[in-house]
Amino acid sequence: MDLDRALTISAAGMAAQSTRLRVVAENISNRDSTGQQPGAEPYRRKTVNFGSRVDRNLGAETVRVSRIGRDQAAFPERFEPNHPAADARGYVRTPNVDSMVENMDMREANRSYSANLAVLETTRGMLMRAIETLR
Amino acid sequence: MLDAGMDPTLNSPIALAERRLAWLDTRQRLLSQNVANADTPGYRPSDATPFRELLNRNRPNAAMRVTDPRHILPAGASAQAVQDRQVSDRAPNGNAVSLDEQAIRIAETDQAHALAMGLHRKYIGLFRAALGR
Repeated sequence: MDLDRALTISAAGMAAQSTRLRVVAENISNRDSTGQQPGAEPYRRKTVNFGSRVDRNLGAETVRVSRIGRDQAAFPERFEPNHPAADARGYVRTPNVDSMVENMDMREANRSYSANLAVLETTRGMLMRAIETLR
Repeated sequence: MLDAGMDPTLNSPIALAERRLAWLDTRQRLLSQNVANADTPGYRPSDATPFRELLNRNRPNAAMRVTDPRHILPAGASAQAVQDRQVSDRAPNGNAVSLDEQAIRIAETDQAHALAMGLHRKYIGLFRAALGR
């Protein structure tokens, strides 16, 4: 039945958005994770890719997180000679996480999650209305 | 064998309501697909073919009769997905889903579903009254 499938699709959308939110949380919490010894790499920001997938059992296109990648942007440097990870010049490489970008990503994930939830509730209302006719 | 004009389940508001409900089900599935893919790069939204077209394509009087179980009815009895042509905005990543547009369509579908369901229930009630139950 199509309404059942609609429920599954909305649920897949919500799952994908929560994975995205989880990655945002990882990025934000590791915003200050530098290396331990000189020359070590700090935390590299993670990125989320969405892809639509044709579910053959369902006969519909659902969404999923197709890949969690790593941001290849350069690391910013900070002058801090007494840091354990400081190089010969006294600079420490810090994670390439921008809190503004993460904040925006978080809001977008939140908005898309709410949209999927609203669709789910509407679909559920339609199903309940159909069930009501049996009474 | 009952004539199509006599059988209330074949050619009546009930049959019409049932087809409308089936179409609305399909449409809701397509719209939820669009919303779920609102952040998928390169995704283009789709919608069901209009109900009017579906009605014109197989109206009951022009439909072929099945007199043998081996007969196959022509396809097209159900709604199909078509990609949206009127795309208002497109994100830099190629995604063309506009959430507010989809929200309006979902609200439309919900209301139409309530109407068709109400019609169906009223007509069933009519037969119940005639049967004295």
